[in-house]
Amino acid sequence: MKNLSPQRTRGTQRKSFYSVFLRALCVLCGSLLFSLSRADDVLHLYIWNNYISDQTAQRFEDYCRCRLKQDYYSDNEEMLAKLDAGAVGYDILVPTGNAVEALVRRNALRPLDKAKLPGLKNIKPEYRNAWYNPGNRYSVPYAYTVTLIGYNKTKLKELNLPTDTWALIFEPKYLEKLKGRVTVLNSQRELMGAAMIYLGYDIQDRDPAKWEQAKELLIRAKPYWATFSNSTYIKDLAIGNIWVAHGYSNDMYRAQQDALAARRPFAIGFATPREGAVLAVDNFVLHQAGPRPDLAQKFMEFMLDGQNAADVSNLIGAGNPNAAAIPYIRSDIAGNPAIFPPPEELKRLQMIRDFDAKSRRTLSRMWTEVKVK
Amino acid sequence: MPRHFWLWAATLGVYAFLYVPLAVVVLFSFNDSALNAAWVGFTTGWYVKLARNQDMLGAALNSLLIALTASTVATVLGTMAGIAMHRYRPRLLPFMVITPVAMPEILLGVSLLLFFRQVLDMTLGLFSIVVAHITFSIGFVAIIIRARLAGMDESIFEAARDLGATPWQTFRRVTLPLILPGVVAGFLMSFTLSIDDFVITFFVAGVGVTTLPLQIYSMIKVAVTPEVNAVSTLLMALTLSMILLASRFAPDVLKGKA
Amino acid sequence: MRGCSSVSEAEKAPSPALSRTLSRLRARVFPSPTPVDSPAPLAGEGRGERARRRQQDLTKWAITTPPFVFLTAFFLLPFLLVVAASFRYPGEFGGLAPLLPLLGAPGKDVGLTLETYRFFFGDLTYAEIFIRSFLVAGLTTLICILLAYPVALLIARSPKKRRDLMVLLVILPFASNLLIRVYAWIIILGPLNLLYTPYAVVIGMVYVHLPFMVLPLYTNLEKHDPALLEAAQDLGANGWTRFWRITFPLSLPGIFSGSALVFIPVLGMFAIPELLGGTGDILVGNLIKEQFLDNRDWPLGSMLSIMLTLAVLALAGLAAWAARSRRGEA
Repeated sequence: MKNLSPQRTRGTQRKSFYSVFLRALCVLCGSLLFSLSRADDVLHLYIWNNYISDQTAQRFEDYCRCRLKQDYYSDNEEMLAKLDAGAVGYDILVPTGNAVEALVRRNALRPLDKAKLPGLKNIKPEYRNAWYNPGNRYSVPYAYTVTLIGYNKTKLKELNLPTDTWALIFEPKYLEKLKGRVTVLNSQRELMGAAMIYLGYDIQDRDPAKWEQAKELLIRAKPYWATFSNSTYIKDLAIGNIWVAHGYSNDMYRAQQDALAARRPFAIGFATPREGAVLAVDNFVLHQAGPRPDLAQKFMEFMLDGQNAADVSNLIGAGNPNAAAIPYIRSDIAGNPAIFPPPEELKRLQMIRDFDAKSRRTLSRMWTEVKVK
Repeated sequence: MPRHFWLWAATLGVYAFLYVPLAVVVLFSFNDSALNAAWVGFTTGWYVKLARNQDMLGAALNSLLIALTASTVATVLGTMAGIAMHRYRPRLLPFMVITPVAMPEILLGVSLLLFFRQVLDMTLGLFSIVVAHITFSIGFVAIIIRARLAGMDESIFEAARDLGATPWQTFRRVTLPLILPGVVAGFLMSFTLSIDDFVITFFVAGVGVTTLPLQIYSMIKVAVTPEVNAVSTLLMALTLSMILLASRFAPDVLKGKA
Repeated sequence: MRGCSSVSEAEKAPSPALSRTLSRLRARVFPSPTPVDSPAPLAGEGRGERARRRQQDLTKWAITTPPFVFLTAFFLLPFLLVVAASFRYPGEFGGLAPLLPLLGAPGKDVGLTLETYRFFFGDLTYAEIFIRSFLVAGLTTLICILLAYPVALLIARSPKKRRDLMVLLVILPFASNLLIRVYAWIIILGPLNLLYTPYAVVIGMVYVHLPFMVLPLYTNLEKHDPALLEAAQDLGANGWTRFWRITFPLSLPGIFSGSALVFIPVLGMFAIPELLGGTGDILVGNLIKEQFLDNRDWPLGSMLSIMLTLAVLALAGLAAWAARSRRGEA
């Protein structure tokens, strides 16, 4: 029976291959298990892409002697959907106001232990006690951004196009010159919001007839857009593939800096459209199921420190709700109205609020229609 | 004009189509520009940066661990299924084995996500990914094994039985040595599939368990620096050397795969 | 362990270790107090037969059950769940609404509903997405055939020594990650102003799926008997005629299996349209993915998955029918 294998005759070489193969497998498994058993203190952060600089993260890791593991999202809906799909293990999320509201409603957050967060006093009074979070029970404001239009200054000047109106991304008469050179956010609330603002409505309006109008506006403009993009527009703007992008002020700042650093033969600009825009205040919150609330609060307190808090403005280009950070912020950034909107401009900015389940479903199916039509 | 001139021309064109993009990826991994839009200058800095990237290293380890576990289990189950399909011609099993292979991957991802969340209400993570990978790998192994058995002379097994061998003995002494190349090919196949899978993993991955493809996806979507090119180049070098190794030691395996 | 020695003696097993395993197995299968007889002449033919059959049944059970159970649990059940989910409401915060009470008060979104199906069939746009996906998949398949054919033909007609290498060269790019191959095209198509266009999607799809066409085609072409072509040549057929009258018809099975390997995966692919395509390049895969990982509308996503499954099944059925009727002709 032993010699039944016909392979045996020409098999010595192959046999040695198998045994080498098996042995290599064992070694590999062993080393894997070893490396996995080396447990570290790890803080899991689920945060917007381009929202915390490498330097800041590094400094925190040195400070706490732990590892900061970041996962990124580029839309609140994406974050909420990921949590619904069973993402458990994030310690800190960084939702915008309306998403904080949504998370509080479904009991997904852990209340803050204020005793561990003396730095909360650094937050400017107008950002404390926000509508989405009475008494700052759950959230620590981190930064704010305006959803606006970023553009290739050089190109738009050549084409003689305006840069201070939503018409640039919605009106075919402008879009004709920009066909395939425009990206818009892949976010139902943000894009519908921009359309509602352009039409002169409140973004909170739940009148389906007005939504219909906004939807029609989007569908009419859609053929001119290159793509829906939540993050890649940073790079596309900086390279010059895209000339106009609907996106967040901090991302536009990044694109501007990247283009400068790479000595591109054009400049990137960004401005808040005159019709108004969406303001997003993003907050650190503790996820209910997060395994390390202790590390998480340590991180929050670290980020409340004025000098550390200033990073998000200096390096990322976002607005700052931290009073202690203001002295450290570079004057060119503090003076940029698209990053730090002056009071008269703040009046034109609106914050998105969470809808009830029924409206949300209507909107999300409308969004699906926009996508497929 | 030489024989097959047009065939050669077309074939070389297709080979160029296959390899030029990869060459571009490799070339641009040495580009000294974070934007990576045009060639600026030569650097190996992205590799240095990559070596310090703990997330990437962690993802690579996860991928390896998942691929090893999933492909081992899938090889065992798939071999069983292959033998069963060959020997007993069951009615339902072939359907269940082949459908996950034949249908679009996204369907498996979606259904497993629903199952894990709605029925088991479990935390997604290593386990869910491994289970998902086993599910789609079983089919590939089973198909390879059955194909291998199909070409065999049944009388060998009968002879073993007539000599009084138990089923286990028959398997250990006769069947296994005969199908071993198929088993190894199946293992390698499921290993490759597992380590490469993006679509299904995308649906069933949990927090902190990022695999290499997920990590690369996130890098492409979010922060596209030549670091992506660097990791791609290294991965290509790795698979290339693995294939060369395999073709050196076990040329049959590659043919079995084809 | 009782009966151990008697069995092993009777078996005259090749090695002591083996006989031990063997006897243990026997003892486990036949836990009866009477010692189990081996199929020795004395034991009577009927009993040995029965024992052997029982052993075979056990073997059958032992190797069929594990994969069957695993696949039932992690493939069949989840899939049935998708069907069930498509008849439910989305939950208040996403996912699925509670199932109970099954019938639910009017105005309350619980229980089972046809609402999602009504939404889908109420507007032709969704059917259009399916048609668009089928067109993209069909175009991809067609281009793959055109590109793969000369390669497969040349490999099949090359000297044996060279074939393995040439096949390897086709598989090799396939060994690098899907996303890396797509990313390569982002780099290339960006400066060409082709990124975010339908062309980019098709190029990406072809690039990723080409090996799946070359391999089955080559396997088929390799088997062709060269004598056929020689005979045709002797009869005065030129190269072109020989190809169309002999090689091509014979290679149809290879083309069919390659097409199945390309067409079906393309239908569900969402990464390529997402990374390379523009606002108009939404395929079924993207639509499904968005319902789960963006819109939190699981019932709609489940329903779309079912529609996709039905489409694939219909296609497979059609192919099987075509194959059968072809065989019927021959």
